[in-house]
Amino acid sequence: MEKSYTEKIQIHKDNKLAALYPSTKLLVVCLYIVCTFIIGTVHVTSVGLSLLLIPWFIAVPVLCIASGAFRKCIKALKAVAVVAAIIIVVQTFLVPGGELLMRFGFITIYEKGLKTAVSLSFMIMNIAGIFVWLFQTTENREIARAMEASGMNYKAAYVFTSTLQMIEILSKNSKTIMNAQKARGVETEGNIFVRAKAFFPSLVPLILGAVISSEERVLTLEARGFSIQGEKTHLFNLEKSGCERKTAAAAIVITVLVLAGRIALWII
Amino acid sequence: MDYIIECKNVTYSYPLAEIPAIRDLNVSIERGKFYGVIGENGSGKTTFCALLRGFIPDFYKGELQGEVLVEGKKTTDYGGELSAKIGYVFQNPFTQISGVKETVFEEVAYGLENFGVPVEEIERRVVDVMQMTDIESLAEKNPFDLSGGQMQRVALASVIVLEPDILIIDEPTSQLDPEGTESVFAIIKTLKEKHKTIILVEHKIDLIAEYADEVLVFKEGRLIASGDKQELLSDLSLLEQGAALPQVAILGSRLRERGLPVSRIPVTEKQAIEVIAGALKERDKK
Repeated sequence: MEKSYTEKIQIHKDNKLAALYPSTKLLVVCLYIVCTFIIGTVHVTSVGLSLLLIPWFIAVPVLCIASGAFRKCIKALKAVAVVAAIIIVVQTFLVPGGELLMRFGFITIYEKGLKTAVSLSFMIMNIAGIFVWLFQTTENREIARAMEASGMNYKAAYVFTSTLQMIEILSKNSKTIMNAQKARGVETEGNIFVRAKAFFPSLVPLILGAVISSEERVLTLEARGFSIQGEKTHLFNLEKSGCERKTAAAAIVITVLVLAGRIALWII
Repeated sequence: MDYIIECKNVTYSYPLAEIPAIRDLNVSIERGKFYGVIGENGSGKTTFCALLRGFIPDFYKGELQGEVLVEGKKTTDYGGELSAKIGYVFQNPFTQISGVKETVFEEVAYGLENFGVPVEEIERRVVDVMQMTDIESLAEKNPFDLSGGQMQRVALASVIVLEPDILIIDEPTSQLDPEGTESVFAIIKTLKEKHKTIILVEHKIDLIAEYADEVLVFKEGRLIASGDKQELLSDLSLLEQGAALPQVAILGSRLRERGLPVSRIPVTEKQAIEVIAGALKERDKK
């Protein structure tokens, strides 16, 4: 027998880790961030760099691979790496303070600069990386559904999902507007100054259009009984993978171990 | 008579507006009839729709005098429940997509979810409506990837699935091509056969002439004429008021002026063929 539409829209993942309930994933993310901050306080080498954050970062690609989503994650991780690289360069060369470590002509590296560069960039790599894992293995509607299931107001859940969907639609609209402005003789391609000049004539109609259409969207929602009081039903239901408890326990144990290790280092 | 909606001495102005958008409106809508609403741009047609649906004054604010009753109860006393009674579809197909659903099936089901209808029933009702509106082949597509005509059909389906008694449809085809228009009107025709009360704003007067029972003509915020479509659309004095009349009605009356014995002024193509053929035969006999 053919599947009903309600069955078709359900999300079923074979990978146990990717199929974790969104709130469990969120717990993992939060604890990972806590661990990142704890590990960031460990300073090694004579300069006192937070180098332990680098091996700690391996956890992110490992999680992505284990969730079977490495291909999807790698693109986002690359973008994060670029940002981290920029931060490392800027911080290293620009922040003065502490001992002078190196000097090549006019370029100088100070102790404090190197220290903040390493800790900041790898902190960002870790935190952004774990969010990449969360969002690449979880669909938006899963998150929204979990938000509603956790007792959050349905209006807040609506705002969350519609915002994420709207980003795509706005980027589509902005292309249409760009083309329309091009047809009127506004230059939209070329160097950074030309693009900056094209920015306002394309941005203003985009934003005004979005504001105007939001009024009509309110009417649409109202016509569909958005504000009606009473219990709502849901076609889409979340599945649990069955590993929620184990995963949460493992995450807590790892956090406790990291914390214990940090305290032990202090005492020694 | 069984009146489903009544407007009593309604005058309404939008916030900050100096002149009222609707003046001294008294109209009663009969249950199960199809009303065509015509008039120039800015004559108050859309305001009239928003008024009946209760968006005025709840959503648009502004100053409202008089009262609008739906089944004897004021629209302001309904709250969210009015969406179960009155379906509302408007012009722009792109803003009538909820923006939270990823497939057409879910989009159509969204209203039923809000109403708290059990899941098995939702599935059944949505599939029925998708078949009726001919969008079942699109069921698994993203609503934003559809063409305007398809989106408008999805918007109609999302409202029809709630099974309201009254449907207010505001220029559903103004952004659609002839094919899209035809598909939307095919749906409206089915609704008429189900004896829903329909209030349709439409500039394509030939379609009004074909489908509507009664016609309401607005001008500058006033209801200047209302009544049976046959009488109203054959009244050429309306042309001077800026209302559009069917081409065949104008043709019929001009032929009568020229001395052709036209028995009555036709308003639809079918009537025109009958009437003119009859008149020509009569002339030949003489």
